[in-house]
Amino acid sequence: MSDDKSRDFEVVNRSVPRRDGRAKVSGRALYVSDVKLAGMAYAKVLRSPYAHATIVSMDTSRAEAHPGVYNVLRGDDLEGLNPYFGHAVKDHPLVAIDKVRYAGEPVAAVIAEDELTAYEALELIHVEYEELPAVMEPQESLAADAPLLHQRQFEAGALRGFEGEVTAGRGTNLCQEHHIKWGDVDEAFANAAAVAEGEYYFPMAYAYAMEPYVAIAEVGDDGVTIYSSAQHPFMVRHDLKTIFDMPVSQIRLIVPFVGGGYGSKSYTKIEPLASACAWKARRPVKLQLSVEEAMLTTRGDDALTWMRTAVDADGKIIARQAKIYMNTGAYAENSPLVCEKSSNRCVGPYAIPNVQIDNHMVYTNTVPASSFRGFGCAQVTMAGESQIDELAAKIGMDPYEFRLHNAARPKQEFFPGMRPFDGTLTEDLKIVAENIGWKEPLPSGHGRSIGCSASDAGAYPLTSTAVRVHADGSASLMIGSTELGQGSHTVLPQIAAEELGIPFDLVRVVSSDTAITPYDRSTGASRTTTLMGRAVQEASQEAKEQMVRMAADVLGVEESEIESVRGGITCGEARLNWSEVLTRYYKLPDGEVIGRAYIRKDKDFAQLPVFWEAASTGIEVSVDEETGKVTMEKLGTCGDVGLAINPALAEGQDIGAATTGMGIGMFEELEFDRNQLLNGNLLEYRLPRFSDMPRTVKLELVQNRDGVGPYGAKGGGEASLNSLPANIANAVYAATGARIRRAPLTPEKVWRAIRETRAARGENES
Amino acid sequence: MMPLRRFAIHRPADLREAAEMLDHYGENGSLYAGGTELLLAMRHDLLRYAHLIDIKTVAGLDGIERRDEHLHIGAAATHRTIERSAVVREQLPVMAEMAANVANVRVRATGTLGGNLAFAEPHSDPATLLLALGGNARAQGKSGERTLAMDELLAGAYENSLAQDEILTGVDVPVPGPSQRTAYLKFQVHERPLLGLALSLELDDDGGVIREARCAVGCVSPTPCRSATAESLIAGPADSLEQRIEEAGEALADEAALTDDREGSAEYKRHLIGVLLRRAARKCLNGNG
Repeated sequence: MSDDKSRDFEVVNRSVPRRDGRAKVSGRALYVSDVKLAGMAYAKVLRSPYAHATIVSMDTSRAEAHPGVYNVLRGDDLEGLNPYFGHAVKDHPLVAIDKVRYAGEPVAAVIAEDELTAYEALELIHVEYEELPAVMEPQESLAADAPLLHQRQFEAGALRGFEGEVTAGRGTNLCQEHHIKWGDVDEAFANAAAVAEGEYYFPMAYAYAMEPYVAIAEVGDDGVTIYSSAQHPFMVRHDLKTIFDMPVSQIRLIVPFVGGGYGSKSYTKIEPLASACAWKARRPVKLQLSVEEAMLTTRGDDALTWMRTAVDADGKIIARQAKIYMNTGAYAENSPLVCEKSSNRCVGPYAIPNVQIDNHMVYTNTVPASSFRGFGCAQVTMAGESQIDELAAKIGMDPYEFRLHNAARPKQEFFPGMRPFDGTLTEDLKIVAENIGWKEPLPSGHGRSIGCSASDAGAYPLTSTAVRVHADGSASLMIGSTELGQGSHTVLPQIAAEELGIPFDLVRVVSSDTAITPYDRSTGASRTTTLMGRAVQEASQEAKEQMVRMAADVLGVEESEIESVRGGITCGEARLNWSEVLTRYYKLPDGEVIGRAYIRKDKDFAQLPVFWEAASTGIEVSVDEETGKVTMEKLGTCGDVGLAINPALAEGQDIGAATTGMGIGMFEELEFDRNQLLNGNLLEYRLPRFSDMPRTVKLELVQNRDGVGPYGAKGGGEASLNSLPANIANAVYAATGARIRRAPLTPEKVWRAIRETRAARGENES
Repeated sequence: MMPLRRFAIHRPADLREAAEMLDHYGENGSLYAGGTELLLAMRHDLLRYAHLIDIKTVAGLDGIERRDEHLHIGAAATHRTIERSAVVREQLPVMAEMAANVANVRVRATGTLGGNLAFAEPHSDPATLLLALGGNARAQGKSGERTLAMDELLAGAYENSLAQDEILTGVDVPVPGPSQRTAYLKFQVHERPLLGLALSLELDDDGGVIREARCAVGCVSPTPCRSATAESLIAGPADSLEQRIEEAGEALADEAALTDDREGSAEYKRHLIGVLLRRAARKCLNGNG
């Protein structure tokens, strides 16, 4: 941290306790599951047992006649709605229409007076299916004779988040493709001093959040109102606007606290189904999924990546080429953007003169995939950072030194056309190396690794806010971003308090209600501190400008005679705080001023990405060679965050991201067998536990104030995930000599790899 | 996991009333002794019962006490109670250590030994250990009480051999003498263990010879199993056990009839049985794993 720059701060760059912490741990915080509307009914969902089938007929009469049941929603009875949604590709029916595309897809919903009655009536519905051949893997799905999942043509959604066209709906199961090319890879590989080449797999993962999806919808004379666990309420509003063919002013999304998202709650999920139930039943309807149902709703895209990387005789990386097959499952969701981002992120945080990336996002008959923390970066960094270690080994260079030698330099335009690098990776790497004792001797059976990543983060910069300064000197922030545990409801008022010069406790956050709070595109891509933070800063400044004009008015002087100071103004001998300015202006100790800000793709934000999200991670593992069990002994992270508005929260996000990365690196994988999800529950899907956490954890932040956010801040909270699976593979290699290119590194996989490595070397098995 | 379907819970005053209820509700009823497995299966709609008979309300079923050469542990004793019981820790420390590592603290605080054994989940830690320790289950039926060895009680995966009117009341575990060494080890990836392995060695007076061995492997077959071949291989001079242990592990693996499943391949399980058996033997003989 640069002390001289931060000395002036009163509220930011301090670890004030998170504002919602006490309410959350004591159970008082409001989540959607706590909301109950008058006359509210409950919906339960009947799900397809088949991965791919035509719905021949459906008999819902017995369920409809069941006592306590109001209605049954079915796909052939949606006259009056536009039943397909999707911000990128409008391919997703809110309930199956004519056919099902994955096992677990909603085929009907029972709406009843209570949840149990709705559940009981599900088994009274009889559906006749005609099973179709299913495709479960991308390459199988792209075969010429593969069954087609979607027969319709699709238009590209206006809010898809990228400029290219969508590929979906062109008569194959290709959902999206993306290609990057500069330089001449073939020539570079031909002239390389050393080349590493391999195929890597990053598994399907579930972004477990303590709160499964939940929505309460009401359709009335004034439009549609939905309480939802959505991360991006304004994006959901846009999908619902189309479904109901209403102006956005009549679609209201209200999001109280979200119980964890990690990407899984970005974009539209169950809101269309819940609101169609409310439309059908003509009463408010609550749809609360179980964890197992949430696991049948969204997952992360898995990726099979063939990659090769070349170095010259000086140890400089001269070329990288990759061919990626990703699996979006039955619907596009946000995977077209994941396709583009993972292609970009495949390059890694290195300045490479020759690059070619060919990425294919493919439909299959599996649970739809969408955003997942890290957003495409973790998938390809498993390949990229593994390969960096493989190359270092080939040329006999220390993998840490190799990274230092090649990492993007500050202000370097390492990705042509994108924002020059706004981080300091070599500094980050040095800190992590120091913290995990890179050069120190290791016990036998232990291995270390270090890694890094940089993601083009921040999504599309469109954010607005209003800061209301009240006549008593307190303030309300009108924030479209959602609080999903990341700490925005603490960080944003810190920024307002800093700017307005008022105590933190006097700043209230009014949050995520599309009818009240100004537009914010999304709460994801690590953007909120940077974009909403900057909006809050600018809106606070604009409020101050207005109050300076008001002060000039009440003092009868020119604006130029007023000096704005911390918490108020001075003018000659006169000194007024904001409360006094407003009270004198309105001649009443009440009233307010509204400061506004609109962030768009312009000025500081004209060039994308909004910022590079960069971090370095290092670990030490021990490997029980007899069982293959890997234990993470040490973890070091270094988040390159520009300035941490709240360092404790920023570090909390780093360890959270690293833990997710450890989970995928070591245990997490959704497995399909015979077209069914095999481990769609928390008994069989292995999440990280506290007992898995390393004994030694060192979290550090680099704060060079080099971002475009407030006070030089940048986003964090995802990058520590991205390099972790490769960290684990590299550390296991360092400990055992076995190179594993498929995550997760489960004990059996590690045991087999060690055995095969020994056999290849002609050693005896142990 | 979905909502629990509607059911009634009944609280019998004593075993006789519980048995009458069981008889009365027949297939619609089940004993409820903590519910950590039962309610999970009901929430997943794998089991449906309209009536649950809460055996935990019967007085005296959760007692733990020394009875002659046995330690008696009541069926309604929770894993947590066993883990913390002074008498278990003193007289059967391997049982306390095993109990301390069952599932997680919430399961241990609620789940009971009797419920665990009667549910006959193939991944049960207590079943494997008790099989090696020679524990006997006590069951009370209309026509009186009987004693069943562990391999008699456990009829298959999720299947016990109790009659409709019979209630498991507890287990009697022989208290190990000074020459007996015991160990329970498990290997776990997911929520339930991949492998549980229990070993009990009876040594001669100077500790140089293993007079008798009992070993059991759990989680990898429908019920935990022993191998007479393995046990006779383990018996013999203690200092040369390492040379016999691999073959013993193979014999034990043969008995388990291993299959490939999500927990691992049969080959890996076979390998792990060998590893855990060797570690258990070292723990018994040297006090470390």
